[in-house]
Amino acid sequence: MVVLKKYPSVTNRDEMEDDEELGTISNDSESEQESESDEEQDEIKVAEPSKTAIYNKDGLVDKLGDFKWPDNVDWMHTLLIDIDQDQEVDVNDDLAREAAFYTQAVQGTREAFAKLESKGLPYLRPFDYYAEMVKTDAHMGKVKDKLLVEKKQREEQEERRKAREAKKISKQVQAEKTKERAKEKKESIESVKKWRKQREKSGYANDKDEMKLSFESGKVPGGKRKGPPGVSPGDRSGGKAKQFGGRGKRGMDKNKKDREFKNSKFGFGGRKGGKKQNTAETTNDIRGFNNKNNSRFGNKKRKVS
Amino acid sequence: MGRKRKQTEIAEAEAKKNDVAPERPKRTLFGWKIKNNDGEVIENGGEDDHTHVFRNKEKVLITCSRRINFRYRHLMLNVASLLPHSKRDNKVESKESKGATLNELVELKSCSSCLFFECRKHKDLYLWMAKCPNGPSVKFLVNAVHTMEELKLTGNHLKGSRPLLTFSANFEKDPHWKLLKELILQIFQIPKDHRKAKPFHDHVFAFSILDDHIWFRNYQITVPHNESTKMDRGGLDKMTLTEVGPRFCLNPIKIFGGSFGGPTLYENPFYVSPNQIRSLQKKQKAGKYVKKVKAKTKRRMHEMANAMERDELADMWKE
Repeated sequence: MVVLKKYPSVTNRDEMEDDEELGTISNDSESEQESESDEEQDEIKVAEPSKTAIYNKDGLVDKLGDFKWPDNVDWMHTLLIDIDQDQEVDVNDDLAREAAFYTQAVQGTREAFAKLESKGLPYLRPFDYYAEMVKTDAHMGKVKDKLLVEKKQREEQEERRKAREAKKISKQVQAEKTKERAKEKKESIESVKKWRKQREKSGYANDKDEMKLSFESGKVPGGKRKGPPGVSPGDRSGGKAKQFGGRGKRGMDKNKKDREFKNSKFGFGGRKGGKKQNTAETTNDIRGFNNKNNSRFGNKKRKVS
Repeated sequence: MGRKRKQTEIAEAEAKKNDVAPERPKRTLFGWKIKNNDGEVIENGGEDDHTHVFRNKEKVLITCSRRINFRYRHLMLNVASLLPHSKRDNKVESKESKGATLNELVELKSCSSCLFFECRKHKDLYLWMAKCPNGPSVKFLVNAVHTMEELKLTGNHLKGSRPLLTFSANFEKDPHWKLLKELILQIFQIPKDHRKAKPFHDHVFAFSILDDHIWFRNYQITVPHNESTKMDRGGLDKMTLTEVGPRFCLNPIKIFGGSFGGPTLYENPFYVSPNQIRSLQKKQKAGKYVKKVKAKTKRRMHEMANAMERDELADMWKE
């Protein structure tokens, strides 16, 4: 949006300040002062309303009377509405200015429509009235395209923002989880120690009951999960790879990391998930046997559907 | 040329005839024969005989100067598309004598007013609004131009539907604003029953004075209505406006008594020409080095004028 600046006043203010500064620096040389005062005069001429400007009020009124439409012109000819807006609007505030124009137009339209309604004249365009518009369809298509593109951009931005936030949150969650796991592990180890001490104290009496109790008390590491805590399911090394891997050299560490990443990406280790085991289904599946054409020389790999 | 002149004469003759048509008495050799209007059906049935029917027969000539900017040309075309009672003409050379040529052109085209877009230095747009042939005319500086082609304005309306004109109340403040209002009204309002005008009202012009400038906006009116021509109950409250464009802001410079000339009736005391503004800005930028040199010489003069006293203890440690 183009902001209309009040050039004269702005420039004038700057210039005045400059002059003052100059004045403080030097106030002895005559010629300087003269030139400055000249400048000042120039500025004042620009900023203030010029006194030589012509304003012939009588002439204006006469002229208006000359070419004016007669006073009793039917309103339908002029369709003119005056709107009085009380509040002053700052010109350089784009939003306020446009809002003022809008409200003026809205109020005017309301009044005008009320008038038209009272006259009983049709003023709304019927739905089946098609005629040439000011902007062509091609132009309106462009406008629509632009709006769509803008909307899409906005949505994408929103999505990206959300993803970023989610990432932040997920990091936190991850950190908490690891902390919790460590805590759990510590507790479980402690509980085992405690249990051992108790057993020692009691002199290994009623061994079986104690064992049962301690395991039933629910502090079994990992809860429902099989395997030790802090070990990802499918890690065959039982979490030891991690422990020892950390103490290697830096290069080793890096290699290790690479390997881990690759494994996570392409799949290594972990249960085969019984993929290769036979089940009842596979044993009963005799599709591999070719019983239709009993040729002994058939391609063994070829499957017959 | 000749043919056109004839047409204008005919048009003028017709205009005269229409103006007094209903009450013209029949002419005889020696004078007038006043006839009772028994059999005649007069157009303005209920009105007095003395008030003739008002007919708006405005035609606006829209043209521009040579070497106009594309942006300003588009603005002109937009305005022309808003005013179906306008006629276009070739570009006019922007010379001293342009007033005379324009007056001639307007007469040739049998128009009664003129919008002349004058572009100078490919930067500054001046708009002349003139009533021809006997004035007044106004020269504006046009600022803050946005054409209809700009894609952010999403409204659209019928081409040639008559606009509602809304003016801010401060148009009634001073005589020059009153005159401008009348001029704008006459030029921008499409004549009722114009053959190219459409019978519905779906857009509104807003003219308002802010900061001694006239701001123009054009809005499309959208009213939710189920029946084809009747508004719903409370539809006025639900009515919304969408801007169609163009936008511009007019800074009045001068009002002349005649068309494209004549005595000056008003001069904007606050008007600063864009050339002056530019030169001022340039001057401000340019003064840097000169100021520096000035300050240096002043400093030297000052030092020379009040020289430092010789310090008594200066060569105390030399011996």
